[in-house]
Amino acid sequence: MSGCPFSGKEYQFKITYSTTEEEDDSQRGIDKAAKGGLIYGKYLQLDKILNAQALESEKRHSKSHDEHLFIVTHQAYELWFKQVLWELDSVRELFIQNHVPDERNMLKVVSRIHRITVILKLLVNQFAVLETMTPLDFFDFREYLFPASGFQSLQFRLLEIKVGVADNRRVPYNRQHYRENFHGQESEDLLRSEQEPSLLQLVEKWLERTPGLEEDGFNFWGKLQANIEEGFKLKMQKLEKEPDSERKEDMLQDLKKQREGFTSLFDSNHHDDLLRKGERRLSYKGLQGALMIYFYREELQFQIPFQLLNSLMEVDTLMNKWRYHHVCMVHRMIGSKAGTGGSSGYHYLRSTIGDRYKVFVDLFNLTTYLVPRDWVPKIEPQH
Amino acid sequence: MSGCPFSGKEYQFKITYSTTEEENDSQRDIDNAAKGGLIYGEYLQLDKILNAQVLESEKRHNKSHDEHLFIVTHQAYELWFKQVLWELDSVRELFIQNHLQDERNMLKVVSRIHRITVILKLLVDQFAVLETMTPLDFFDFREYLFPASGFQSLQFRLLEIKVGVADNRRVPYNRQHYRENFHGQESEDLLRSEQEPSLLQLVEKWLERTPGLEEDGFNFWGKLQANIEEGFKLKMQKLEKEPDSERKEDMLQDLKKQREGFTSLFDSNHHDDLLRKGERRLSYKGLQGALMIYFYREELQFQIPFQLLNSLMEVDTLMNKWRYHHVCMVHRMIGSKVGTGGSSGYLYLRSTIGDRYKVFVDLFNLATYLVPRDWVPKIEPQH
Repeated sequence: MSGCPFSGKEYQFKITYSTTEEEDDSQRGIDKAAKGGLIYGKYLQLDKILNAQALESEKRHSKSHDEHLFIVTHQAYELWFKQVLWELDSVRELFIQNHVPDERNMLKVVSRIHRITVILKLLVNQFAVLETMTPLDFFDFREYLFPASGFQSLQFRLLEIKVGVADNRRVPYNRQHYRENFHGQESEDLLRSEQEPSLLQLVEKWLERTPGLEEDGFNFWGKLQANIEEGFKLKMQKLEKEPDSERKEDMLQDLKKQREGFTSLFDSNHHDDLLRKGERRLSYKGLQGALMIYFYREELQFQIPFQLLNSLMEVDTLMNKWRYHHVCMVHRMIGSKAGTGGSSGYHYLRSTIGDRYKVFVDLFNLTTYLVPRDWVPKIEPQH
Repeated sequence: MSGCPFSGKEYQFKITYSTTEEENDSQRDIDNAAKGGLIYGEYLQLDKILNAQVLESEKRHNKSHDEHLFIVTHQAYELWFKQVLWELDSVRELFIQNHLQDERNMLKVVSRIHRITVILKLLVDQFAVLETMTPLDFFDFREYLFPASGFQSLQFRLLEIKVGVADNRRVPYNRQHYRENFHGQESEDLLRSEQEPSLLQLVEKWLERTPGLEEDGFNFWGKLQANIEEGFKLKMQKLEKEPDSERKEDMLQDLKKQREGFTSLFDSNHHDDLLRKGERRLSYKGLQGALMIYFYREELQFQIPFQLLNSLMEVDTLMNKWRYHHVCMVHRMIGSKVGTGGSSGYLYLRSTIGDRYKVFVDLFNLATYLVPRDWVPKIEPQH
């Protein structure tokens, strides 16, 4: 900045404000911009941002008013995708540089993942703007868009990869790998990001390090298994004592089923099986770490980790909601017509909704294994 | 586009889809994009949009993570401002070219003003994203922003002017005209837009043309005044017949006050007075047109005009909510510190909230003059 005496931190502390005459107070101050220096429009490079809207329909002398909305909406989405990637990469970096053992960085991690959820929420709400375009008005310029398609959105794919969407769970598109939509530098960017650790993989390693999992230490898993077996045994015994009845039979069946469910939880082969199928994503030890954080969330060292797990599930939920809103809008806009990228449009998009693309699916499913508080292994008080 | 046989409208009608095997459906078709042609990233000029984020803190070797969010948020706002101006100018143009005589254009007008309100709603929600930045993190890079300021946002001013914010009602800023923040082409753009008819002025002319106002025709105003006088006379007489009591006295006072209010409604000098002070914005005849649309909103020719009046009030309300959200956030971010543009920051912004910047203030205030349905002059049925 220039020799302006009023720039810099010291300025704020010299002037005091009286609040008795508000009209005058709102007048106080000097017009700094007149003295030269950073300008709003230049700082934000608005010459680029606001000169990037060229209507295809106009190029073809058939200007469609609504095409401007179509362009601006997509540009806004891509701007926010860039911001989400900025936050996501910074969090991944903190994990990669092993800065997370320094628990002071956990606040940053949780705040930034939470920020991602706030942006995703906005992006879900943003569909309402494009939905003010009628299918009839869209039809007027859609033909000029072929073959451009959202399949060519590099940032959307980077987002999926860096969060941890499983390549082998993707819905095949035209029997091709999604990466074949990209060429040159973009294709390289995608390849490189696939080789770097995703948020899922980094969180998994972090979960495996959860204090208390050590078998020769607190041995959370061993203690939990013992408590659950004991708990079911007592429940069974109590139920057996009841006079025979149809209700008692039903309740015994339910109890047996529950116990079987828990038995499978402690079966590491069963877990590996589901891992191979892609129905689970976390390692067995990672799963244990997550369940431990759930049960001991009120302990000081687990409070922020617990918030992180909730925010990660929120990311999955919002990505899914985004996909769903997108599908609803596409169906309204083009019915059963083919997409501009050549896919079946609506049908393809609909198949991407659900657990296939859910990255932190295990965190959701862990609630299957919640137990009464008194079954949770007790922590000896520290002195 | 190329010789691709699958581009263009004819494509959609040749292929039929069976919905029995959804997996096959989503696999269908040729990858159009591989044949060359418009690409998503080029269509949206993402090379411009996504390469416009340069952190001042980074230039000064003191990179602040949150500055990226600050930049992207403002760029998203400016993108949407551009879209709002696109819609606004198209509506103004329809009025200016006198295309509103063709009532078929009314659907377009109402849809586009409604679209503006949907965008403004998103822009109000968008504050939540920037609010994930803490004042402490903002403090780390704020010093590098001086003297750039939102006062230099050309589009924001254009938006205010084109909707119809009154120049003489603006809160003076540093005892200067707001236009002095701009130079060269931008200053000319502002001057020109001030000279063009605003939405308010165009709507006013349109309201003055409301069928039924003609004094030698239906004479809505004359009939309304007569009905109201008769209505109050009957109410007074009925009340006088009641046995004397304190409640009767209170009710008589209320009735007299109401009648005085209506008397002032029919006093055109009183209206001109308020017009001069800036407390009313519409001409007397425009006001009459608006009240007529309110009372006869269920008539076929007034249904869409009624929707338009509601949407115009929604625009004012949302602009005000935007200002309020902005103020709340600024207060949290910088407390009582001075703004980067040199104004008193929070105190200045707070003074811009309320009726001063409300353009369609008269539409709101007309609710003061609603009367019982049977006082509304009856329309003879048409054959």
